[in-house]
Amino acid sequence: MSATTLHTEAGASDETRATGKSAGRRFATLVVRLGAIAAFAAIMAYFVVFAPGFTSSFNLINVVEQSAILGVLAYGMTSVIIGGGSDVTEGGIDLSIAANMGLCAAVYATLLSMGYGDFLSVLAAIGVGMAVGALNALAVVGLGILPLLATLAVLNVAAGMELTLTQNTVVGASSPLLGFLVSGSFLGISALAWALIVFSAIIITIIHGTAFGLRLYAVGGHPEAARAAGLSVPFYVSFTYVQSGFCAAVASVLTVSRLSASTPGSGELLLSVLAAALLGTVFSRRFVPTMGGTLLSVLFIGLLANGFQLLNVSSYWVNGVQGALILLVVAITSFARGSEGSQ
Amino acid sequence: MSVSANDSRKVSLRAFLAKYSVLIAFAAIVIFFAVASPTFLTPANLFNVLVNNVVMLAIVALGLTIVISSGGIDLSVGVSVDMASMVFVMLLAAGYSGVVGVGGGLGAALIVGILNAILITRLNISPFLATLGVLFIGQSTQQLATSGGQPIYLTSGYASDQFNAIARTALFGVPTPVILLIVVTVAVHILLHRSVFGRYVQAMGAQPGVAWYSGIRVPRELSMVHVLCALLAGVTGILLSATVKSYVPLSGNAFLLDAIGATFIGTTLSRERKPSVIGTLLGVLLLAIVKNGLLLVGWNFYWQQVGIGVLVFLVLAVSFGLRRATH
Repeated sequence: MSATTLHTEAGASDETRATGKSAGRRFATLVVRLGAIAAFAAIMAYFVVFAPGFTSSFNLINVVEQSAILGVLAYGMTSVIIGGGSDVTEGGIDLSIAANMGLCAAVYATLLSMGYGDFLSVLAAIGVGMAVGALNALAVVGLGILPLLATLAVLNVAAGMELTLTQNTVVGASSPLLGFLVSGSFLGISALAWALIVFSAIIITIIHGTAFGLRLYAVGGHPEAARAAGLSVPFYVSFTYVQSGFCAAVASVLTVSRLSASTPGSGELLLSVLAAALLGTVFSRRFVPTMGGTLLSVLFIGLLANGFQLLNVSSYWVNGVQGALILLVVAITSFARGSEGSQ
Repeated sequence: MSVSANDSRKVSLRAFLAKYSVLIAFAAIVIFFAVASPTFLTPANLFNVLVNNVVMLAIVALGLTIVISSGGIDLSVGVSVDMASMVFVMLLAAGYSGVVGVGGGLGAALIVGILNAILITRLNISPFLATLGVLFIGQSTQQLATSGGQPIYLTSGYASDQFNAIARTALFGVPTPVILLIVVTVAVHILLHRSVFGRYVQAMGAQPGVAWYSGIRVPRELSMVHVLCALLAGVTGILLSATVKSYVPLSGNAFLLDAIGATFIGTTLSRERKPSVIGTLLGVLLLAIVKNGLLLVGWNFYWQQVGIGVLVFLVLAVSFGLRRATH
């Protein structure tokens, strides 16, 4: 309760402050936004000119392929942030998503190696992923535990179960589906890249093209108002966590296909997933998380790593540059947001 | 009449359980492990838990407690731990004395804290994102400085005395790390719960807008909060290197999730869910004892992680669930 009052208070004060010089500030916002996008464009232009082979279709498809796993996970995270609100300590967040992917990958690879077919194994992976998501939903919605805390506990459970299942070893896997994902292609675009394209199309349609998606934004933006308007807030929030688990399962199939195995250490993806989901807000007009924005930031992170690779810059720089970019973008955003009034 | 009396008794029992669920869980766990493992309650084992599992995590978690009290978060505590550890070990390896090493290590952590403070108070970046960015930059810095993550070991030939002075000595039979923890605990308790600074921090955490309007210099206090947190994490970094006699890049991140967990477990002690020094210590003890107990009972490392996750989940579920039922 206190959090809500706080938000409205802060919003109101911002608004009064903003009305005075709104025209000037709006112009400043425009400049700042264009500046952020120009910075992205400048980096890309640099790569285009100086990184050999950067623009070749082979390379670009490679980037899309590499981004598929991060992208699918980031969609899951984005929907949780949309439905739970973007307040950092109280809002929606799913810290368990990367560990969940690791667990699903372990289940998938283990079942394949035990001789079960693709159908059953994929079904089991999706079942496990959604079960973990449902556990998050139960904790957050049913028991009212802070998302940050609930998903932290579930992270430990999922990561531990992955370890017990695989004994911290690499579980090799091969199957027709994996073979198709690795080497199949259609219209000159590989199956893995198609996976990201199709998944993106579906999720962008659901979140940004349907009444359901709009209601999800309402629930995250102002739960009280959403409740007053007759929306079932618990249902929508639960949905985001289960959907996040589903995304983890899909990403697990992709990661097993890329590596031909389930490998330990998938939890390290968590920070990149968070970064992608949060960085994506800069691409939206009101600085809210959007699926399109998330896709752009995932591709940007992918292109960045790729460009560095082509320029022969040590990969150790990638994290740092990614971090500096997050800070730059967010600093610009928070400056621009000052003129946006509420939120 | 009797029904309502019964009801109110039920409610007060619920409230009691909600308030003390962590303590009850703690007691139950201690009893369980004491019965299940004969070595659990021996002084040697408890001492081992205290020195090896509690002290370092507790110091990081107490720093984080200050930040979380102010309404923020610091995801870069691991970087502060690592940077202090790295500079400390590098200075000793280069032949400097222990005092210089400790000073350099704390200085490195201080830089991380100041960077966080500038990003949060000057550039208005939310603490979550600012410290996430610093975390990434810190990881890169370490990889670049150690050609991709090579640990730096210190052979016992030189500087071993300096290490021993920190990690292995004792004062009146109490090991130095434990004394350090006691000092830090008392200091943070006074700072957070008994000083004007602490009252400002609590006010910023509860009502940032009101804190600003009532004349608290929010940027200054917030900078202090983040610098303190980084410094405490730096203390842990130095303790860590002194204990393992090496610097292993990116090892500090292991503290992050445990410290967040411990601090938030501690918040279940207060009705308003405010972090407190006592609560955080209890959270750290809970995590440390469960880890140690599961090991003694014979669970392997992998199952321990599942066990801890389930346990934390249950404690939170009971605490949050009961409180929700009371309201």
